[in-house]
Amino acid sequence: MENIFVNAAGGIRNLLESAGLPGLAVDLIVLTVIFVAILVFVLLNVLWLVYMERKVSAFIQCRIGPNRVGPMGLFQTIADTVKLISKEIIIPKNTNKKLFLLAPVMIFMPPMAVFAVTPFGKGMVALDLNIGVYYFVALASLSTVIIWTAGWTSNNKYSLLGSMRVVAQMVSYEVPLLLSIVGVVLLTGTLNLTGIITSQQSVWFIFLQPLAFLIYLIAAVAETNRTPFDLVEGESEIITGPFTEYSGMGFAFFFLAEYANVLLVSMLASILFLGGWLAPFGLTFIPSWIWLLLKVYLMIFILMWLRWTYPRIRIDQMMAFCWKVLVPLAIVNIFVTGIGKYLYESVRW
Amino acid sequence: MFGKGLLKGLKITIGRFFGKKSTVQYPEKRLPLPDRFYGKPDFHYDKCIACNLCVNACPNKVITLGTDTVEKKKVVTGYHFDQQYCLFCGLCEEACPKDAITFTDDFELTTYDRNTIGIEFVKQEQVDNKIKEIKQAAAEKAAAEKAAAETKVQTENTDKEQTTNKEGGA
Repeated sequence: MENIFVNAAGGIRNLLESAGLPGLAVDLIVLTVIFVAILVFVLLNVLWLVYMERKVSAFIQCRIGPNRVGPMGLFQTIADTVKLISKEIIIPKNTNKKLFLLAPVMIFMPPMAVFAVTPFGKGMVALDLNIGVYYFVALASLSTVIIWTAGWTSNNKYSLLGSMRVVAQMVSYEVPLLLSIVGVVLLTGTLNLTGIITSQQSVWFIFLQPLAFLIYLIAAVAETNRTPFDLVEGESEIITGPFTEYSGMGFAFFFLAEYANVLLVSMLASILFLGGWLAPFGLTFIPSWIWLLLKVYLMIFILMWLRWTYPRIRIDQMMAFCWKVLVPLAIVNIFVTGIGKYLYESVRW
Repeated sequence: MFGKGLLKGLKITIGRFFGKKSTVQYPEKRLPLPDRFYGKPDFHYDKCIACNLCVNACPNKVITLGTDTVEKKKVVTGYHFDQQYCLFCGLCEEACPKDAITFTDDFELTTYDRNTIGIEFVKQEQVDNKIKEIKQAAAEKAAAEKAAAETKVQTENTDKEQTTNKEGGA
């Protein structure tokens, strides 16, 4: 069980090598297979997350949630997606057509690209980049540009306002998000995600960096544009923000990409703070990738729990909270972590 | 403490998450309806005396009552309830002296066709039976009256005879 995916990849590689293919071709094919597998994994998770979100929201509101399509309503997302595919894609008159259609196509690219460097289990990483964290954060923040594209090309005042909020919010919250990660990077001395996980062998970083974890959690909610920070699509003010003019599959892509981003930030949270695929209490008989999934889903549940508990906050509150509370706290956290590490290394008790 | 309210909110929602769900799965399970619920109307042919009170009571002219006179008796030949205009006020039920029109708790009144919304309560066989019944009753009554008249005549005759006999005897 533990090495099922690693062995499968190795098996494909051996098969291709024994068939006499050159090394480069073997690498290319194996990588393609791995990336397709990651793609399928992410898409299945996104479909499941939409269903899970509806169930969690229903349960929190004393309802049952979707339970008619398929067993326990499991095919609800598929039915929704099929409906959205069958709908007409309406392009408003004065839009920039090319960019308008390009934005929903591109929205899945940043999360997908980031999944290339995330370790899914012991030895289960497509590209073991040395600057994994950097790559992760750099690419994940690209969604801002794409949502801005969607809002700008829609040529609609609500879309424009919404996308302005996206830029303001996501760029602002990128700062505390990054600064909270710096604490972890200070402790490990590496930007490699696998390295960060293996250095949590003795203690998870959530216990060494509780403040950083809290800041990361709040900033992650803001980064994924979810309640209480979903001003981007504040429907009472600006309809659905940048997605107002999108219909059918265009809208579906933005909708599903939100869940890909949720998966992404939850994965990063479990890798940085919850020990990634490391088993707690020596429960190593459960495979590492199942441990990672469990932690990721715990994080996702917390995000959903937050979403269905808190109301949306005002934009000035949001910006003030970011710059006046989170950023100073994150800087203090780095400072304290640095001093603590220096003391620890100089005392060596 | 700052953030106390936030934690309280989270506690409430997680309690709801694991708590009892209040959804009633409608077509399979239903909530009980109150006694005075006005659903689909129901008409009791045998109770109706064709007095026209419900027709006059209806604010929307929903009810059309068809009557016929058979053997000096009023017979209901049609009771059309044009449900699409009914506002379920229950005034017809209130007006009826014999409780011939009542409202059930059936609220699923959707139809696929506009023409099927109206309800024709009275069936032709009911009318035929009623007319037959009345005619039979009338015939029986007539026969009984005839018989009674005959016996009366006879008794009168016998009475006369008796009196004459008595007189004769006296």
